[in-house]
Amino acid sequence: MGVGLISSYGMFAVQGLLFLLPQRLKAPTRRLFAGQINQFQIGALQGVLDLQGNEILVKRDQQGLRAFNSTCPHLGCRVHWEAERQRFFCPCHNGVFNADGVATEGPPAAAGQSLAQVPLEVDQKSGVVYLEVKDVRKVTT
Amino acid sequence: MTTPAPNEPKSGIIDRVKVMFPLDWEIVRHMGAEPIPYHLKKWWFCLGGTIMYLFVVQVATGIALTFYYVPTPQEAYASVAAITREIRFGWFIRSLHKWSGNFMIVAVMLHMLRVFFTAAYRHPRQLNWCIGFLLLGTTLTFGFTGYSLVYEQLSFWGATVATNLAEAVPLAGPWIAYFLRGGPEVGENTLTRFFILHIGVLPTVAFILIAAHILMVRLHGVTELHFAGEDVAEEKRHFQFWPDHATTEILIGVVLMYLLTIMALIFPAELGEAANPNETPAHIKPEWYFYFNFRLLKLTSLKLSVVLTMVIGAVAFFWPFIEEFIARRWRISDKVPVIAGVFAFLSFLILTVWEAFAN
Amino acid sequence: MTLDTKRIIVAVLSFLFLVALLLVAYQESKRHRVEKQLEPVVTSANSGCVKCHKTDAPALVKDWESSRHAQLGVGCVDCHQAEKGDIDGWTHEGVLISALVTPKDCARCHTKQHQEFSKSHHAKAGEILASLDNILAERVAGMRGNIADAVNGCWQCHGSIIKFKRDDKGQILRVGKDNKPVIDPDTWPNSGMGRLNPDGSKGSCHACHSRHSFQANVARSPENCGKCHMGPDHPQIEIYNESKHGIAFYANRDKMALNKPGDWILGRDYSAAPTCATCHISGHMTPQGINAGNNHDVGERISWTLRPAISTRINRVTYDDGYKEDYPDTRPLPKIGDKIETVEKVVENEAMVSKKILRTVKTILTWQERRKNMKGVCLNCHNDTYVDNFYKQFDDLVILYNEKFAKPAQDFMNKLSADKVLNPNAPFEHEVQWVFWELWHHEGRRARHGASMMGPDYTHWHGMYEVSKHYYQKFLPEVVNAAATKGPAMKQKYEQLVREHLTKEEHLWQKGLKPEEAEAMRKSYEERYK
Repeated sequence: MGVGLISSYGMFAVQGLLFLLPQRLKAPTRRLFAGQINQFQIGALQGVLDLQGNEILVKRDQQGLRAFNSTCPHLGCRVHWEAERQRFFCPCHNGVFNADGVATEGPPAAAGQSLAQVPLEVDQKSGVVYLEVKDVRKVTT
Repeated sequence: MTTPAPNEPKSGIIDRVKVMFPLDWEIVRHMGAEPIPYHLKKWWFCLGGTIMYLFVVQVATGIALTFYYVPTPQEAYASVAAITREIRFGWFIRSLHKWSGNFMIVAVMLHMLRVFFTAAYRHPRQLNWCIGFLLLGTTLTFGFTGYSLVYEQLSFWGATVATNLAEAVPLAGPWIAYFLRGGPEVGENTLTRFFILHIGVLPTVAFILIAAHILMVRLHGVTELHFAGEDVAEEKRHFQFWPDHATTEILIGVVLMYLLTIMALIFPAELGEAANPNETPAHIKPEWYFYFNFRLLKLTSLKLSVVLTMVIGAVAFFWPFIEEFIARRWRISDKVPVIAGVFAFLSFLILTVWEAFAN
Repeated sequence: MTLDTKRIIVAVLSFLFLVALLLVAYQESKRHRVEKQLEPVVTSANSGCVKCHKTDAPALVKDWESSRHAQLGVGCVDCHQAEKGDIDGWTHEGVLISALVTPKDCARCHTKQHQEFSKSHHAKAGEILASLDNILAERVAGMRGNIADAVNGCWQCHGSIIKFKRDDKGQILRVGKDNKPVIDPDTWPNSGMGRLNPDGSKGSCHACHSRHSFQANVARSPENCGKCHMGPDHPQIEIYNESKHGIAFYANRDKMALNKPGDWILGRDYSAAPTCATCHISGHMTPQGINAGNNHDVGERISWTLRPAISTRINRVTYDDGYKEDYPDTRPLPKIGDKIETVEKVVENEAMVSKKILRTVKTILTWQERRKNMKGVCLNCHNDTYVDNFYKQFDDLVILYNEKFAKPAQDFMNKLSADKVLNPNAPFEHEVQWVFWELWHHEGRRARHGASMMGPDYTHWHGMYEVSKHYYQKFLPEVVNAAATKGPAMKQKYEQLVREHLTKEEHLWQKGLKPEEAEAMRKSYEERYK
C-alpha cells in the first residue's frame, strides 16, 4: 500500500512540478522576412527591425550573411557598426567588437562576451533572407 | 535530562531532537487510538472527509494555477488559454481544479443531506450546522468567483447577472452590488475583486470556518448513532482512528484522485469565446449549482426570487432552532423534518433539472 | 471491512491512479503545442500603412493579413516601394511608393518564377495589341475617343500598355500635394496577363495570384484560368468542365490539397484530378520517383500551336539572354551558336514597337521534347500506350482540320489577296473575311482545343461540325461572292477554282452518296426506326 501511495502521489507531484517549471528555455520565435540576398552588399551592413522594434544588424562578407543583435552584452546599450574600422562600437563604455561580433576591447572583452547572433536563413531557390526573431504574438482563440 | 557527549551514537541525536521539539508521543498515540463510532465505517459518513480532501486539492491546484494566471481583463483569458494549451500539464491541473470544484460542491450537498437526515444537527450541535451552512455558502461563492476568473463570455455575463441579482437584495442590495463590482458596472475592478475574493478572502474564511467546524466536531464528539433494527456487539461499536479510519480516509483520497484524473482525461476543461462586453450571448446560464436560482428567477420576478432565496437561506440556516421551536410548540412526529427535507431537496433537483433542459 | 482489506484496496486504487497519471503524461506528450493561428506580422515599415488603411480599406488589409506574406512580415512597402526615377513613383505619407506592382517587384523575392514567366507566352499576351482581334475591338466596335471595348474586353485579359496622362510637352501630369502621377484611366485598373508596365517588365503576376491574399488555392483552381481561357474562340475552361478531368476535379475538390503551402506535386500531394495548373505549370512525380518541379513558362509542355489558322508543331529556341521564340516546324531550326536577328515587341514611348535584336542561339527544345514534358504529367495516372494513343488521336484531329479545311481555306484567301480582291488595309470588308476569320479563330480553334483536352462535344458539334458546315455553306460561296465584286471574269475564275476544289475525294460527298451507300444507309434507318 505504501509503495502504491508513494509512487502514484509521487508521479502527481512530479507532474505538478513540471507544470510549475516554465518549459520554454528559449522565448518563442518567429520567422521574419529580411530582404533579398542581392539587397545585401558584400562588406556592408544593413539594419533590420525585429518585432519589438530593436535593430538587428545584418552583415554580408565573403563567408556569407550573418545577423547580430545590436544589444551590447555588457549593459544593454545599442552598438553601431563602424565600416572604416570594420568593427562594432558601443558608446556607453567604449566596448569594441570585431567583425565576427567577438568583443576585443572594453568591459565586454574583459568578460569574454560577444554580440548575440540572430539565426539567419537564406532560401536557396529564391535568395530570400529570413531571420528568426523573438515573437510578440498574443494568444488568440 | 543530561546532554549526551558529542561522541555518542545516533540515538543521542534523536534525543536532542526530542528535547528541541518536546512532543508528548503518548498524547499523539492516545489521539490515534481514539474510538470512532462504528457507523463511520459506512462510506456515507465519510463525506466530510471527502470535502476536506477535495478542498486540499483545490488549494494545491489553485496555488499552482496562480503561478500563471493574470487577473486583468486584457490578459485573463489569454493566460487561461496559455495554461490550457501551452504550459506542460496545464490542461491537467486546470481540469483537476475544475472537476475537484464541482465534486466538492456535490460532496457538500450530499454531506448536508446526510447530516440532515441523520438529524445530527439537533441540540447541542446547532452551531455546527450553522457553521456548515456558512461553509456551503463559501463553497458556492468559491465556485462563482472562480468561474468568473476565466473571463469567457459566460464568465463575464454570469458575473453581470449575479451582481444585478445582488442589487435586488432589499435595503443593502445596491451597496453589495457596488462592493462586488468595484463600481457601477462589471469592469476592470470586478475581476480584481473576484480574484482577491477567490484566492485570499474566501480561503481565509474557509480555513477559519473549517477549523471551527472540525473543532465543534471534536468538542461535541462524533454523534453516536443507533440504527433501528441493527444489533451491534459492544466491542464492535468503536474502532480506532489510527490506522483504521486513517486508512479509510487515504482510500477516499486515492479514489478521488483517480476519479478526478479520469474526468480530466475524458472531459478536460475547455475554453469558450473570450468575454466581449459589447456582445451578450444568446443563452446565458450560470454554473449548474445556481440553476435552481436561475429557474426561480425566470419563474418569478427579480425582487421576488432574491427575497425567496434569502428566506429559504434563512430557514435553512436557522433550521435546528426552527425545528426545535416547532417540535416544542406543536408536538410533531419525527417524520416531519424528513418530509420537509425531502421536499426541499426534490424542489432543488426539479428546478435544477428544469433549467438544465430549458433553452 | 477489515483494515487489511482497506489496505489492499488502497494499493489497487493507487495503482489505478498511477495508470491514470501515465495516461495523463501520454496525453501531454501528444498535445500539439502552439497550433494556433499565427498573427500577421506588421513590421515598423508597414505599420503606418496598416494604421490608416485599416479603416480606409479594411477588407484589403484583412485580405493581406490572411496571406502568407503577412506571416513573414512582408507587407505594403515591401511590394509597393518605388525607386528614385520610377515614373510611376510618388511620395505618399513620406514613403516613395507606386500603386503598380509589376513582375519586377515580385521578382525581388520570387526570382525563379519571374525568370520563367517573363519569357513565356503569358508575358507576351499583351502583344496582340497589333492584331486583327484588336482591330475588331478598336475600330470595328470602337470609335474615335472611345475604345471601351478594347479597354473592358481584350485588354482586361491580355493586358494594356500602362500609360500616363501628359501635358502638351509630354510631361506626366501630377496632382495633389504628393504629386501623384495621373494614370490614363483606359489603361488602369488592369490585371491583364501580358500587361506592359512602365518599368519595362511584361506581365502581371497578380493576374493569377490575386492580391492581396495571394491564396495558393486560387492560383491552382481551374476557374482562375477560366477567367480568360474561355469563350467562343478558346473555350478551354468549358472543355475542361466537359472532360473527365474536370468532372473528377469538381467531385474531389476537397482532396486536392489546394491550399497546401509550398510545393504542390501531382502524385505526391494530390492525385484525384488534374487542374489547368497541373498539366501546364505545376510539378509532378516522375517514374524515377523524383519531383519534376514546376515551371511558370506555360509553353514548356506544348507541342502544337492551336492558335493560328493552320496549326504547326512548335520548337522552342532559347537565346543567350533568355529570350525565347517558338519556331513552327515549317521554319528550319537554327543551330546552337547561330546568330539570329530576332524581332521583339517592346514598348517605347507608351506605344508598341517591333525591335530587331541580334541574339545567339543557346538551347533548342524540340516539339518532341516538349511533348515528352507533358507526357510526364499524364503518365502519373495513365500508362504509356494510353498516352501515346491519345496523342495520335489528337494529332489526327489537328491534321484533319489542317488538311481538309484550314490549308485550302488559307489558300483561297491568299489567292484572293494576290488577285487584289481583298484589300490588306480593310481586313473585314468582305463577308468572306468574317467567315474565314471565324472559321479558324472560332470553330477551328474550338475543334482543336476540344481534341487537345478531351472535350468530345467541343471537338465535334461546336468544332468540326461547324467548321465543315461553314466551310461548305458559307466560306466557299463567299469566296465567289468576294471575287464577284471585282467583276464577272474574276467571279468565273473563282467559281472554277471552287468547282475543281470540290472534286477532291474528301469533298465528293457533296455530290451525294453512291447508290450502294445510299441503299445501305436507308436500310439501317429502316431497321432503327421500325
